[in-house]
Amino acid sequence: MTPDIWLPLALTTAIETGTSAGTAIDGTEIAVWRDVAGRVHTWEDRCPHRGMKLSFGFVRGDHIACLYHGWQYDAAGQCRYIPAHPDLEVPKSICVKTWPVAEAGGMVWVWLGAGALVPAPDLPQAVALRSLYLDCPLSRVVALLEGGSPLGGAAQVDGAVARVGALVIGLQSVAPGRSALHITVAGAPTEAELTTLTHKAEALRRVAERVEAAA
Amino acid sequence: MTARLYNYDLDVDCYRVRLVASVVGLPLELVGLDVFPGHDHLTDAMLALNPARRLPVLVDGDLVLTQVPAILWHVASQAGAALVPAAPAAMLEWLSFAAGDLACATAARNASMLGQGDPVAPRAAARAALRRLDDHMVRAGIAGQGYVAGDTLTLADLALFPAFALSRDFGVDHDEFAALRLWARRVRTVPGFITMPGIPDYH
Ligand code: FES
Repeated sequence: MTPDIWLPLALTTAIETGTSAGTAIDGTEIAVWRDVAGRVHTWEDRCPHRGMKLSFGFVRGDHIACLYHGWQYDAAGQCRYIPAHPDLEVPKSICVKTWPVAEAGGMVWVWLGAGALVPAPDLPQAVALRSLYLDCPLSRVVALLEGGSPLGGAAQVDGAVARVGALVIGLQSVAPGRSALHITVAGAPTEAELTTLTHKAEALRRVAERVEAAA
Repeated sequence: MTARLYNYDLDVDCYRVRLVASVVGLPLELVGLDVFPGHDHLTDAMLALNPARRLPVLVDGDLVLTQVPAILWHVASQAGAALVPAAPAAMLEWLSFAAGDLACATAARNASMLGQGDPVAPRAAARAALRRLDDHMVRAGIAGQGYVAGDTLTLADLALFPAFALSRDFGVDHDEFAALRLWARRVRTVPGFITMPGIPDYH
């Protein structure tokens, strides 16, 4: 069961205008893409035609086109154009599953829950450090963060957000045994501070994966 | 005289050479060989040129080159030094990385697509190497540098690009490499950029 909370899945800077990327939350594959007007979309990462990942596709204006046979979907997920049948009025039934999306605190958030939508997380603007992918379950990373990790002292964890010092970290459970941290920094960090933080983030990944390999 | 490249269109290292030649605008005489299933690279004439039983081979006058970094360097320097910075150490570091630590990407791809060997170990090694490259590009981005060896495109970027662009062929997705996605997109915009089969041409 997916919880009724907003879940982070990327840094906003990682999804440039006119591009798409794939990710997953607990194994649910999600295409994240940004149309040329700058609006971000979070869809099921599966083309209704033959199941190709839509995140492999390419953005054309406010449509995304599947890499495989070029079917094009509008911003609502509705198929609008089938190259092999250019004159066809595409049936309404051909559409992609879409989920509510928000951008806050330098991250992209998705709502996979079945319950009533709540407002997106209220986070101040922050500087993106990086997304860090780890080969271990999110629970292990969270335990490390809460106990004090290379990133600093004991983190405060609230839902899908961890805070430690100036860091505000989005927590993503990608799949069993795989997780991602979307790390942002509040305030105005210097280049040297950010570089130091990237080394600390890699150290955290080493510790987490070492513990996981030993477990 | 035009240098001659013994070429197989589906070979990743041959693509690296064509890509660099296209970006610097150096015409090459392409000698097309059918490696799979034809084994054209194993004829006596080809083994005399390269006993290592692989492509690419570049012949320029008396010069016969079979090592990819040397071929790329030669091609780039024939057309001016645009892709070779004045202080080349950082570029050499990543050019060597492409030919060394990332060579497992080619092995993983051949194993996955042609059934040549077990893909598991080279896939894991290639994923680990791409992760190192992603970590590097995260830091480069913080320093305001868009390319692996500084703020301009070098040979190293072009040598590294195919391993990432083709990684889905051996089961390593781009999801985890946000910094590499942005970098690859930048590399694609260089004038003269060309693709090979397996690399979509849409940007
Ligand atoms: S699978 Fe997407 S268009 Fe055919």
